[in-house]
Amino acid sequence: MLLVDLAQSILDGVLFGATYALIGIGFTLVFGVMHKINMAYAAASVGGAYAALRLITLIGGPAWASLLIAAAVGGLFGLFIYWLCFRFIPLSNPLATLMSTVGMFLLAEEIIVHTTDGMPQNYPVVVGGILHLGEFMIRGDLVFVFACAILAMLILLYLLYRTKLGTATRAVSQQPIAAQLVGIRINQVNALTFVVTGMLGGFAGALIGSAVGLLSPLLVVPLTIKGLIVTVIGGLGSIPGAIIAGLLVGMAENVFQYFRGVTERDIYVMLLLFIFLVFRPGGIFSTTVKRD
Amino acid sequence: MDFYLGLLQIMGVHTLLGLSAYVVLQTGQVSLAQAGFMAIGAYVAAMLTVLAGWPLIAALVVASLVAGITACLVGFPALRVHGLMLVVATIAFTEIVRLFFFNFDYQISRGNLQVGPLGGEGFRQIRYFPENGWTTLHVAVFIWTVVALVMAALWWMDRSRAGAVLRAVGEDEIAAQSCGINLTAVKVSAMTAGGAIAGIAGGLYAHYTTHIEQSNFTILLATFAIAYPILGGLSSVFGTVAAVIFIQGFLVEGLRFLGDWRNLLFGALIVLVMNIRPSGLLDARTMASLRRLFGRKEG
Repeated sequence: MLLVDLAQSILDGVLFGATYALIGIGFTLVFGVMHKINMAYAAASVGGAYAALRLITLIGGPAWASLLIAAAVGGLFGLFIYWLCFRFIPLSNPLATLMSTVGMFLLAEEIIVHTTDGMPQNYPVVVGGILHLGEFMIRGDLVFVFACAILAMLILLYLLYRTKLGTATRAVSQQPIAAQLVGIRINQVNALTFVVTGMLGGFAGALIGSAVGLLSPLLVVPLTIKGLIVTVIGGLGSIPGAIIAGLLVGMAENVFQYFRGVTERDIYVMLLLFIFLVFRPGGIFSTTVKRD
Repeated sequence: MDFYLGLLQIMGVHTLLGLSAYVVLQTGQVSLAQAGFMAIGAYVAAMLTVLAGWPLIAALVVASLVAGITACLVGFPALRVHGLMLVVATIAFTEIVRLFFFNFDYQISRGNLQVGPLGGEGFRQIRYFPENGWTTLHVAVFIWTVVALVMAALWWMDRSRAGAVLRAVGEDEIAAQSCGINLTAVKVSAMTAGGAIAGIAGGLYAHYTTHIEQSNFTILLATFAIAYPILGGLSSVFGTVAAVIFIQGFLVEGLRFLGDWRNLLFGALIVLVMNIRPSGLLDARTMASLRRLFGRKEG
């Protein structure tokens, strides 16, 4: 029985971990291209989900449409963040953009609290139902979240490795000066990276909303922390790393919760991060990462 | 009057917190662990005065030592990584400390009262100041005396060889290393000093609020800790004080008449300041012209 319960919590964790992977990809992509960290990312993602929820309750429509709206709004937020926190600040000063995105984080969180009076908002069910597979129960909404996250990752990988835009993005991330010399507009590529990651974030925020069943400002800080942990465990700038690490963190979280309860589980997730920092500071897929 | 004295106390503790991050930032490291060190200092100092009946100064010294030693121990593994990795590692540390105190119970009965930290409910009844007849004025003066001492020590350090070494590591690690500077030793010392200062800040904080709980010591507090020196500028300790007055005095208290909008403005103003003055309010050039203004040679 213990084994079944354990396998069940691993399964649930891996399925939900897909959303952490999406948030981690957002952090890692911006880091890969600009060697900067966007602290406001998770806040903007949850903000995109909120905006989509507001719109869908206002004009009505199927629940799945909220996912697409969230992606669109998230992209817009990404562009805002780029213009307000990166575009006009000298990039040679790593502290300045760190601080400006922290300011943006506080602003985004505060806007969310302000417009909803701090009350959690119920998120409509996109896909419900429970699948019974022998002794296991598979929650339909988690499977849906997982499938959507994988789809979003595939689209992203296609964009990055099969299109001209993706080639330009990777060129900037490898050698900004050489990229500039061959005629790539760095500012444009940076802005587009923020739009793409913003869309990914908004989509992830809506997925999390539909899996948890509600949106709350309290999601923002844990999501930021989990996203950053995923980024570091996966290796800075590594997209496959972020995907694996996201699933791993989701799984670890659920397993620790099963053994030690909900108040202690995050301690062990953080300790997992420290183990990685000490023994594998480059992340799962250690590459020669240029450091910030 | 008590309101302004209370504000002075808050500013004093936040100045100490900012200075603890200032030392670490001098070496180019962004540490969000300061809230964790402050939590350790707060709980240790409060447990010593409440549970063991120690005098305040001795409790503060021990709290500062414990926080400093913790910082030293955390420093060794954490400083193997740089930049973003260190930010994430120190965030994780602050969260670990917070969650530890969330699960930490240690109560003894004193009279007919249970005192001591109690998990999520926090640590109530830290009544050292009222029990010993300290007024708000006494407390404010005491806190600012400590702040003045720490500031004087850091101001002196900035001008000594130690300050030059810290800045050298902060400006360019490879150049500093090739001058024969031991990077690990310098970074761990800065981290230890920062932890010790944050421990004092925590001890003072616990005693003037009389009630601490884990939710006081979140990532948000750690963010404030690095926000003060970054917003104020890293070229002088006075930048940190200026930023504390700007944030706690102007943004938090001065804009209270704006009600809820104040919080919205808060994040927006940080974004704005970083766009206009990316090196902080009192950056190196401003400090130099200020020095000229007061008729001193730059040096």
